[in-house]
Amino acid sequence: MKRFYLYLVLTVAGITFIYPFLWMIAASLKPEIEIGSLGLWSKNFSLESYRLVVQKIPIWRALFNSLFVSSCVTVSVIFFGSIVGYALSRLNFWGRNLILGVILFTMVIPFQITLIPMYILMVKFSWVDTYLSLIVPGMITAFSILLFRQFFLDIPQDLIDAARIDGCNDLTILFRIIWPISKPVIITVGIITFMTSWNDVLWPLIVIRNEKLMTMPQLVTIFAVGGQAEAQLGAMLAAATLLAIPIILVYAFFQRYFIESMATSGLKG
Amino acid sequence: MKFKIFLILPIIAWLLLTACSKGQQGKAEAKPRRGLTYWCASNPQEYKLAKELVKAWNQRHPEIPVKLQTLPASQSSEEVLLAAIAGKTTPDICSNMWPGAMDEFIAAGGLLRLDTFPDFRSYVTERVMEDQLKTFQAKDGGYYQLPWKTNPIMVFYNKKIFRKAGVQPPLVTYSQFLSAAQKIVQDFDGDGQIDHWMLYRDIKPIWWQRLFDYYPFYICASGGRTLFEADSIVFNNQASVKVFRFFQTMYRRGYMPVTQFQGDQFLAERLATQISGPWLVAHIQKFAPADFEYGIMPIPKPDDYQGAVYTYGDPKNISIFNNTKHPRAAWQFAKWLISRHADQRLLEICDQIPMRKNLLSDSSFIAYFKAKPQMKMFALQAPFTRGVDGVADLKEIFNIISQEYEASVIYGRRPPEEAIERAAKRVKVIREWNR
Amino acid sequence: MLAYVKQKIKKSDKIGYLMSLPYLVSFALFVAFPLGFSFILIFHKWNVITPMRWVGLKNFYRLFHDVEFFRAIYNTVVFLIIHIPLQIVFALVIAVLLNQKIKLRGFFRAVFFMPVIVSGVVITILWQQLYAYETGVLNLILTQLGLPKIPWINDPSWAMPSIAIMATWKNVGLYIVLFLVGLQNIPKYLYESAELDGATAWQKFWYITVPSLNSTMVLVVILSTIGGFSLFIEPFVMTGGGPMNSTLSAMLYIYNQAFYFGHMGYAATLGFFFAFIIFIVVLIQKRVVERK
Repeated sequence: MKRFYLYLVLTVAGITFIYPFLWMIAASLKPEIEIGSLGLWSKNFSLESYRLVVQKIPIWRALFNSLFVSSCVTVSVIFFGSIVGYALSRLNFWGRNLILGVILFTMVIPFQITLIPMYILMVKFSWVDTYLSLIVPGMITAFSILLFRQFFLDIPQDLIDAARIDGCNDLTILFRIIWPISKPVIITVGIITFMTSWNDVLWPLIVIRNEKLMTMPQLVTIFAVGGQAEAQLGAMLAAATLLAIPIILVYAFFQRYFIESMATSGLKG
Repeated sequence: MKFKIFLILPIIAWLLLTACSKGQQGKAEAKPRRGLTYWCASNPQEYKLAKELVKAWNQRHPEIPVKLQTLPASQSSEEVLLAAIAGKTTPDICSNMWPGAMDEFIAAGGLLRLDTFPDFRSYVTERVMEDQLKTFQAKDGGYYQLPWKTNPIMVFYNKKIFRKAGVQPPLVTYSQFLSAAQKIVQDFDGDGQIDHWMLYRDIKPIWWQRLFDYYPFYICASGGRTLFEADSIVFNNQASVKVFRFFQTMYRRGYMPVTQFQGDQFLAERLATQISGPWLVAHIQKFAPADFEYGIMPIPKPDDYQGAVYTYGDPKNISIFNNTKHPRAAWQFAKWLISRHADQRLLEICDQIPMRKNLLSDSSFIAYFKAKPQMKMFALQAPFTRGVDGVADLKEIFNIISQEYEASVIYGRRPPEEAIERAAKRVKVIREWNR
Repeated sequence: MLAYVKQKIKKSDKIGYLMSLPYLVSFALFVAFPLGFSFILIFHKWNVITPMRWVGLKNFYRLFHDVEFFRAIYNTVVFLIIHIPLQIVFALVIAVLLNQKIKLRGFFRAVFFMPVIVSGVVITILWQQLYAYETGVLNLILTQLGLPKIPWINDPSWAMPSIAIMATWKNVGLYIVLFLVGLQNIPKYLYESAELDGATAWQKFWYITVPSLNSTMVLVVILSTIGGFSLFIEPFVMTGGGPMNSTLSAMLYIYNQAFYFGHMGYAATLGFFFAFIIFIVVLIQKRVVERK
């Protein structure tokens, strides 16, 4: 009996979490008049709302922009993060702990304080309305360096010494020896970075005004807020669905990694 | 060797990034060596009109060709223009100038004073009424904008709903509007739900929403005044109070719903009236159901108001930027943009009203108004329109009025008199701060 | 001193400097410079386009007389007071349930976690529909149960709680997972010895589980607080800060001042001040929760 209640509570809770998504997808396929109903099924499913979205905003272009920006940022964060993380964990040099201290310090600075000056910096670099403003500021993160450093600290010195005897330099050691055994941390950093970049909307709203360069969440936000949807509910929900689908698809395949990555980053951050 | 790889990798990444981002930007900056650059609004109709007018000009003036570019659609024209002034990448002429932002443009030193051209006054007064022209004068007494077009804000109404409720248009005064609302906002089919509302306005406190409720009603109730005179606040008067009280009553009695509607409820025939400009005519033609019947009437006025009915005109004007190399040619081109022929095409292509006297009696326009009789209402209203004040921080001022409007009108938290007084006080403080 | 440093550097792995260089560059450009520059900005009035103007402490004077600034702080407090307890209770209950021996644990965990990975924009657009007064799903359910409709986002006193509920729905999955990790780290023998002493299930929960999850609690509280001060897209899309400024968040106010009204100096001052407040609040929370 107790089991039954346990499952009942979990199922009810589960439904409150999954039903809204299903409702959204269903509503985006329904004709405008039927959207205000609870049910998920309609005889009149059509792609009309999606047609409207595609017609009104460059959503595919935005999808490409988001993919491009997030991929660049992710690759770069893994690349540079592991290099700096390696230096801070496996090399001895004067000032190392100072750098580490600086990194820890930057992690506690709330972004509210640097947001406006960052925007002005972008204006001064003439990076507003270019991909550069979306990519370059995110190319290295303190958080990734710390995660890499943490992981690299536990790698046995013997492995590195052996490689050095074989004539490897530090970069080859990092990419040939250490990377292959660091998959968990690379995946964690990759997922977190990609997700943060993909879902960010405040920064793009600030530095991108050209519709062609907008990221997907930004474009959908402007579509919903700026009245371009001409108050078409179906179109708004269709745009939201299009925005949700890529990440949900990735999540469906790698949900274990997602959850574990977020948990470790939450615990360590 | 290892050092080199290190340096080269980021550089390659950098070059790649710059290469792929450079392709996206910078189209607008390329200036022709001779001739003029002209920026127009980006909507398809206005672009079509501009293309046609530029083509005709270029055929007649091959020595000074005009190059046409559109303002980017995704951001506000004001921002683009301010940035262009700062970066000295302005065009020679722009035809999407909002009077509310003029002060900033002039302060940034970007505009050419037009009344320095000897035939400015004669050419313009032939077209525009003297009192209307005066509203576009800058603080320093000069004129930096050429009055071009106006979109008078009026009241659209649904004829079927009016008939069903036994309401006879037009509704001239506030009390007529309210008593009509009483008849209309009913449960006709007896399902326990109100069938339609008198009017709906978005309740989000966004400053420009006031351009479609408070502001046109204020201009009307005050007999054609704007918020400022000689750079000082004048909106804290009885006219404002009356407008606030009118809308407060509308909300309190439930004639206007406090909700966020989704979908166009006017076209869905759930609203009896809608406050809008001429663009709604084209919108209705495109999207309304076949049996949709509508009429247009002026903004209602306070019961004790006598005199002409004014409204907000959402004017867009033409300006010349002062880094132009050919001011004379630019002026000639600007005059061409407001010529009789251009105005006729403005009506025909864009369904927007040129700021021009005697529109209805002028032979150039007769055919148009015959074909589109609804537009006559707007043409009649056009001379009695006002724009916005060219004062600094206008958005912020409207934002404050918006907040007081929300508190007093929508949520009934304070009486109109107090709300207006508070708004005036807050505007004063903001202007003091921003000075 | 200098000689000592030179000596040290000589003994160092010099490639370490080179490998740290990317971070140092990015730190200088995107942390040190903005920090320094924000310090200059707060004494200036500037719209980016026309030249900067020194105004001394005027921005601070304005801030302390700015009703909307205080309103934004008040709103954030309202948000946190609803959001944090709701978050902790829900996350804890679900985590404890999931920690039993049950089938489909992975599936349930994945379901609760889903809103965490989906963009806030999607969540907000979706909930805007659920919350709609006339046609929203939530009010539809209420009317079918014979209850009156709730003006979720149209009433000044409901709007912020509604946003807090939505934010809880979005984030709770993460905290469920964090609590699960915490639960699994509690040594079994604690429960076993409690059982020997005849403790009830409730007593075990209250005296063993809750104290053991203390560090996770601190984390939840701090992350939620930072989230509360960063609240932006939800009010931006859903309410525009209304009704009657009841959902005007700190971030939204900074955004409006900077990018609507062009007051970069004042916006920087606001950012500076909010950052300061976050810092203090988080410090206090850490003290208080850790002591408990």
